[in-house]
Amino acid sequence: MISERVKSNLKQTFAESLLPKLGLVLLVSIVFMALFAPVLATHDPTRTGHYDEQGAPYPPLGHEYTAEIVQDGEIVEVPVEPTSEHILGTNNVGQDVYSRFLYGARISLLVGFLGTGIALLIGVPIGLIAGYYGGRVDDGLMRIADTMLAFPALVLALALLGVFGQSSIHVPDPLVIAGLADGMPESVPVPGTVIIVVALVTWVWFARVARGEALAIRNEEYVKAAKSFGTKDRTILRKHVLPNSLTPIIVLATIQVAAIILLEASLAYLGFSGTTLSWGYEIERGQGILRSRSWVSMVPGIGIVLTVISVNLLGDWLRDALDPNIEGEGR
Amino acid sequence: MSLESTTQPLVRIDGLQKYFWENDSILDRLFGNDPVPVRAVDGVSLDIHQGETLGLVGESGCGKSTMGETLLRLQEPTDGRVEFDGQNVYELSGDELTAFRHDAQVVFQDPFSSLDPRMTIGETVRQPLDVHDIGSETERDERVADLLERVGLSADQLDRYPHEFSGGQRQRIGIARALALEPEFMVLDEPTSALDVSVQAQVLNLLDDLQDEFDLTYLLISHDLSVVRHVCDRVAVMYLGEIVEVRPVDELFTEPKHPYTKALLESVPRASTDERKRDRETLTGDVPSPRDPPSGCRFRTRCPMVIPPEDMDIEQETYRELMHLRERVENRDLSLASVGDEGQFETDNGGVPDADVPAFVAALKARLLETELPPRHDAIVEEALAELADENWEAAAERLRTAYESVCERDNPSLGDGAHSVACHLHGVASERPSEPDSWT
Ligand code: SF4
Repeated sequence: MISERVKSNLKQTFAESLLPKLGLVLLVSIVFMALFAPVLATHDPTRTGHYDEQGAPYPPLGHEYTAEIVQDGEIVEVPVEPTSEHILGTNNVGQDVYSRFLYGARISLLVGFLGTGIALLIGVPIGLIAGYYGGRVDDGLMRIADTMLAFPALVLALALLGVFGQSSIHVPDPLVIAGLADGMPESVPVPGTVIIVVALVTWVWFARVARGEALAIRNEEYVKAAKSFGTKDRTILRKHVLPNSLTPIIVLATIQVAAIILLEASLAYLGFSGTTLSWGYEIERGQGILRSRSWVSMVPGIGIVLTVISVNLLGDWLRDALDPNIEGEGR
Repeated sequence: MSLESTTQPLVRIDGLQKYFWENDSILDRLFGNDPVPVRAVDGVSLDIHQGETLGLVGESGCGKSTMGETLLRLQEPTDGRVEFDGQNVYELSGDELTAFRHDAQVVFQDPFSSLDPRMTIGETVRQPLDVHDIGSETERDERVADLLERVGLSADQLDRYPHEFSGGQRQRIGIARALALEPEFMVLDEPTSALDVSVQAQVLNLLDDLQDEFDLTYLLISHDLSVVRHVCDRVAVMYLGEIVEVRPVDELFTEPKHPYTKALLESVPRASTDERKRDRETLTGDVPSPRDPPSGCRFRTRCPMVIPPEDMDIEQETYRELMHLRERVENRDLSLASVGDEGQFETDNGGVPDADVPAFVAALKARLLETELPPRHDAIVEEALAELADENWEAAAERLRTAYESVCERDNPSLGDGAHSVACHLHGVASERPSEPDSWT
């Protein structure tokens, strides 16, 4: 399905511009952090109680702040020094912010990519079938899709979470089991219902794009020709319609990965994440102390922004490179 | 190539109809909008004989491509039947349908849309063989290489993509694909109209050679009369979903009978200079919409030879002018308020005062008609226009209709049988029309 020409186009557009390189470097580093979080982390991200001797959370390295603590029944302001033990400081319950940042990347990427994957698997076939056959099938399916699109994704997701409840599956962490990362949590919480819910509110986008493509492609003369020598609809869908609608679907997928990461953060921020190891959850936790201990929200916030930007940069690159009207000299 | 073989035709089209429906969605039903049929193909009967090339010509939008696709069952017909080798194509299923898909192929107009941009040309030409499961893998590859060479491409280009080829080369690839299954019958849907003139001839010659070599039968759909003249044995002329004339190609070009065919031929640019000087009666006016085709003969709104009622004793030119006037009255396509000088006629409350009627009629007539009418017709027209003074559109139209209704709008002329059919009241076997008027050449 990926031809030589596409490959050479991908290479060419990649070489010509700085942005895709930046996106790739960013995303690869984030994925790397997520994959090797247990090895890279300095502390168990769920362990609380990392305070300085006065009982105040540490600031990040190179940063000082004055904490208000209760001493002998009175509130006093004390200066707090950073420590190299906790390079990004600790949060209000004394968890290591750096380690939580690494583990948060896992959740964001998992939800983003798995959610998009499931949405693709639901939306693309439905859209292709609706567009290809048209008529009543199309009317019915697209009515459902339009209704769903009428609601903001967040509202719909909250409603669905209300129905499904929140639960996460605890998947054993192979790195920890292999003994490479002692003292880290032995399993990773995968927020199952959140993944399914974000997929359920996202598939309609894929269905609509796929339908639009199929609608145009079914009138192409190569499809008529295929019918004229008796190709089955299923084969036409697989061999002509799907490959030719892939470009906008892939581009949309990159946008949706970013959108889902944001949606997950919003859900977590509102307390509907199924796990506390989420960037959105962490932002919420830092919200009340934004003035005094801004790093608690800032670090995961930067994580979200960088991830979304990197995915979008790569999406732009794919969009430019996959356009079949660009004539590359691929052999 | 026998034109009128006594054996049964390879393809027999009988009363084929294909309507598309507008306003047919769920919402339209909800709001009670009635579906409107677009009559793309409306009752076509034609025979195509083994080994011949039948041309199907007409202006764009006359339904010829729809007809090609419907007879190949790429679209389901609204009514009618198509027999291929004696079997009704629309009743085939299973193995019989597969056999039909094997024997009838199509070559399309647009060499850019007819090849999948994401398939190599080798894959493209191989597809039919894969679908029909013909031969082993290596045999298929060999066959594909043979086919490409047969249409004038080199076999080592197999792995290239369509965008690396020119329009003419792509059309050759499309032909190779259609040829892969060794069909008996091919629909060529404007196979050269997207190509450069220099390339057109090459492709047409290729098609010609292939016809001899593989004993093919062609239906060539085209709006280009020079192409048709070059390759066809017989020609069917289509207008607004109907066939108006079917004749052997030489006869059609030397002595066209149907006024539409004549007009089409006239509109072809000529090479010789003295012919160019001739007054050309080219097609005027728009093609009527296939949603609402004219009654009777569909060409009557543009026909330069519409037959006036018996003993009307009227010049064709005058008659046409009156027909246009009538059309405008029937469609209420006249602004009465602006007749005469500003405010001359008070039309708001119940029409023009009786005293003003003659002046009103005169003013209207002066605006609508260019020529002086013979007294008899002048009287009829004045009667009708007088009705308009009271804004009585119905009565005015009725008056004109009774006087001037033509046989052309009452009856749709039928095509008749045989190889020399013309659907026009001037030539009908049944209607005893005098020979065509000399006024029009
Ligand atoms: S039937 Fe009448 S209107 Fe139609 S082509 Fe013949 S003369 Fe013209």
